[in-house]
Amino acid sequence: MKKFAKLGAALVASTVAISLTVAAAPTASAATCSKKTTVEMLGTIKTEIKDQFLAAVKAYNASQKCYTLKSIPGDAKLTFLQNVTPMYAAKNAPTIMYTLQEIPDMADKVMDWKGTKLVKLVSPGLLAAANVGGKQVGVPSTAEAFGLLYNKKVLADAGIDPAKIKTRGDLEAAFKVLQGKGKKAIHFSAIWWSLGAHFTNIFHANAGKTHEARLAVLDSLSDGTKDLSKDATFQNWLSTFDLLKKYNGSTVNLTDTEYDASIADLSSGNYGFLFQGNWTEPNLMTAAPGTDFGIMPLPISTTATTYGNDSIPVGVPGYFMIDAKQSTKAERDGAIDFLTWLYTSDKGQHFVADPVTKGGMGFIPVYNGFKVQPATNMARDIAKFVAAGKTLEWINTYYPAGLQETVGKVSMQQYFTDKISSADLAKAIQDAWKGSVKTWRGAKK
Amino acid sequence: MILLKRDLTKQYILKESQMASARATKRFMKLAFTPLAIFSLVLVVPFATGFYYTFTDWDGFESTKLVGFDNYIKSFKDPTFWSTLRFTTLFVLVSLVIVNVVAFGLALIVTSSLRSKNILRTFFFVPNLIGGVVLGVIWQFIFNSAIVALANKYNWEIFKQSWLQDTNKAFWALIIVTVWQSSGYMMIVYITGLISIEQDVLEASQIDGASPLRTLLTIKIPLMAQAFTIALFLTLRGGFMAYDVNVALTGGGPFRTTELISLHIFQDAFANGNFGTGQSKAVVMFLIVALAALVQVTVSKRYEVQR
Repeated sequence: MKKFAKLGAALVASTVAISLTVAAAPTASAATCSKKTTVEMLGTIKTEIKDQFLAAVKAYNASQKCYTLKSIPGDAKLTFLQNVTPMYAAKNAPTIMYTLQEIPDMADKVMDWKGTKLVKLVSPGLLAAANVGGKQVGVPSTAEAFGLLYNKKVLADAGIDPAKIKTRGDLEAAFKVLQGKGKKAIHFSAIWWSLGAHFTNIFHANAGKTHEARLAVLDSLSDGTKDLSKDATFQNWLSTFDLLKKYNGSTVNLTDTEYDASIADLSSGNYGFLFQGNWTEPNLMTAAPGTDFGIMPLPISTTATTYGNDSIPVGVPGYFMIDAKQSTKAERDGAIDFLTWLYTSDKGQHFVADPVTKGGMGFIPVYNGFKVQPATNMARDIAKFVAAGKTLEWINTYYPAGLQETVGKVSMQQYFTDKISSADLAKAIQDAWKGSVKTWRGAKK
Repeated sequence: MILLKRDLTKQYILKESQMASARATKRFMKLAFTPLAIFSLVLVVPFATGFYYTFTDWDGFESTKLVGFDNYIKSFKDPTFWSTLRFTTLFVLVSLVIVNVVAFGLALIVTSSLRSKNILRTFFFVPNLIGGVVLGVIWQFIFNSAIVALANKYNWEIFKQSWLQDTNKAFWALIIVTVWQSSGYMMIVYITGLISIEQDVLEASQIDGASPLRTLLTIKIPLMAQAFTIALFLTLRGGFMAYDVNVALTGGGPFRTTELISLHIFQDAFANGNFGTGQSKAVVMFLIVALAALVQVTVSKRYEVQR
């Protein structure tokens, strides 16, 4: 404050004082700024929509004269912490950061969003994962969902109505019909993050009917008191795992080249289903223009009315955080200004919600008062599930750092390739959780 | 008087030379200061800081208190640390032997009277000019797609499933790529050794009627033992430090069974967020590499012939 006052005094004394004070007066519009501030953001939200995001940044920079937003490329091969820790060590932290799993690590280094315009536009449920001990450390980018993706044309040609698949039995029947028509039933991806984060979440999200009950399962796993082999939901989940393995039409590939292969398969028209998320939609649409894709629940129970059978896991894939340790006030203001523009201005909303084919990011709006509605099939499907309240939680948001690697890269892939038994898998998952710090209860590592 | 004068002169000369040496020291200090400062700045200081961090609760951002040997105890209690160390040792031994045998063989070929030796020399060296990550990605494609496609067409049973899908085969995939990458470089070291052998010794042995194999075993190899010391040291160090090919080729998979020690440390620190144990494992690894290199250099020095 003192420094600020001194600076102000010096300015008044100078000959250019008048013009500058006019510019700094609160009544002046945002279009007049004495000095342009560069605001740095790490990455482009996701690599899939990099071009569209950078176009939005360009439009923002042209729309006002106070801030220049600059996206600095992180190394996509590295994790968030791998990118960020050296930057903090070099006193060169980016102002805007975007992540999910590492929110607990960053909580004491970032700004509290409380009271800002954006926070008021989001429902509390979508803010929960970024609320650490009462501090709102981040705001959501969009909602995403995962489940069974399907090629609409392939299913229609085989006479399958995805809305009528309500149990695991129904699903197997649909697989058989597809095979009878000479198609491959499903591409079940063995890529570690799909297995470690998303497929395991199908169990965790179905494991309890309330948020508290689901966290209690995590508690018991951490305490080492949970016996998964005696858990009915876990057994259903295992049977589903076996079913998808049995009808998997693709060659098992445990390496990273698998992701592209799965998209190529579903878009090729030779496969009916793929277990993935709606983030693949832009890639699917680019690979097969004119083909429609949908998303539906993965039913794990043989009874249609079992909790979760008719719902898809919907969650926030990441939150925007603003550094509070190494940034200036002007940089933080610019960061808030950019994100507010992106989600509330007409132009910004088009970049957010328009489909990729129209230069947008294809995001599902999570802020109230969105004028632009999502236009793609999967986004509309998800919106319907959300409206009907048929959503499951992303418990994987609460997994401790490194757990999805340990489970996904080792035990899940071993079970996938028949290296271990189902009892081994249950034990391996229990061992991976045992003793982990209860970060989902706000415990510090 | 004369004596005294001589004494004085002597003293003067002595003083003069002392001053000269002092000046030289000063000049040397000035000259040496820059590299010494850079050396401490980029090597000694980070090393000491890193070493200090192993005794703290460092979380990648800051450290708040000293924790003694906790990080080391935790590291030694981690079973994956030991399995990774075992895998790394095996990788180092196998790659060390194969790389050097191949490299020495290549060096013999390109120093023979073969007509295409100059082209071959370039040809063998080129893989070394490709960066590890690029190399890994290329070979990942070869193992995952190219070979599998060919195998299915021509019914080669052993290649039908990608080699990167199986722990043992993925190990050999790592070895193949490492050999392919570093043999060319070690070949250059051996070529230097081979051409440094004086012609008169070789001619003498020829006149004595030594066979080419005899010449190789009793003349060439002992006289170029220095090249072996260097090449063995480089491959030993390279094996322990191997990282980029590991990341890009197998990524530690399948089932994290092909993680070499560098990748394991990196994962522990940056994926699991255990910076303290990650750093202490790095210190342990440094000690192992230093010890192994020391033993290797001492042993192979003994075979060097002084002329």
